[in-house]
Amino acid sequence: MTDHDDRQIREALQQSFPPVNTEIHRDLWPAVLRKLEAHPAPMPWYDWALIGLSVGVFLFFPRLILVFAYHL
Amino acid sequence: MDLFQRFALGEIDAFETLVRQFQGEVYAWIVRIVRDAGIAEDLTVETLWRIYRARHRFRHDGNFSAWARRIATNLALDHLRRKRPEQSLLAEPAGAPQPDHLLQREMQEKIHQAFRRLPVKLQVAAMLALVEEQPYDEIADALGISVGAVKLRVFRAVRIMRRQLSHLGVRP
Repeated sequence: MTDHDDRQIREALQQSFPPVNTEIHRDLWPAVLRKLEAHPAPMPWYDWALIGLSVGVFLFFPRLILVFAYHL
Repeated sequence: MDLFQRFALGEIDAFETLVRQFQGEVYAWIVRIVRDAGIAEDLTVETLWRIYRARHRFRHDGNFSAWARRIATNLALDHLRRKRPEQSLLAEPAGAPQPDHLLQREMQEKIHQAFRRLPVKLQVAAMLALVEEQPYDEIADALGISVGAVKLRVFRAVRIMRRQLSHLGVRP
């Protein structure tokens, strides 16, 4: 494969795919916001892990619920 | 606390500022790959939404642009994989076509056909490097590969295209 081959294919592709307009036509923030509201981000795994750990601790040591409630 | 730290903590105002700052850049990158304004807008919205969802993974010392480009490129690759290969990107010319114009158009169709038969990974590398003339290091970053691997993909794309075009009776 030579530079000449490369240049020929490059030129053929550039003629075949005319330049695209890379300027954005509108502000996409409203669409992003709508998508965020429609599909809220799921709770991260470490939050689930913390909840699971807390439930486990309270199941094995129910008296800790009183201690926890006292400190709330 | 800077803008990126606030974004990583999920502050929506910080994210809005980042969207307004980077949406043009993300869109420009995607439209260079998919070459359709409507699809590029949809994929830009999807990219920005995914960026927000993945905010915990953003490193504060990292390059936000490069991170956004990588997510955008993955989405564009998925889009091209889903798209039917025979779908043409050529616009119909207005008015009655002239004979030489028809020949030129036929040749362009064959080039498109050969290009769309390339594996998607090669298509993206060739489109960005040969048609859009983007810097190799940016392409490498966006594809998550080395500059050498980008050059190899472009080399393979050129070689396959040349073979396919010669089968179609086209000498570029």
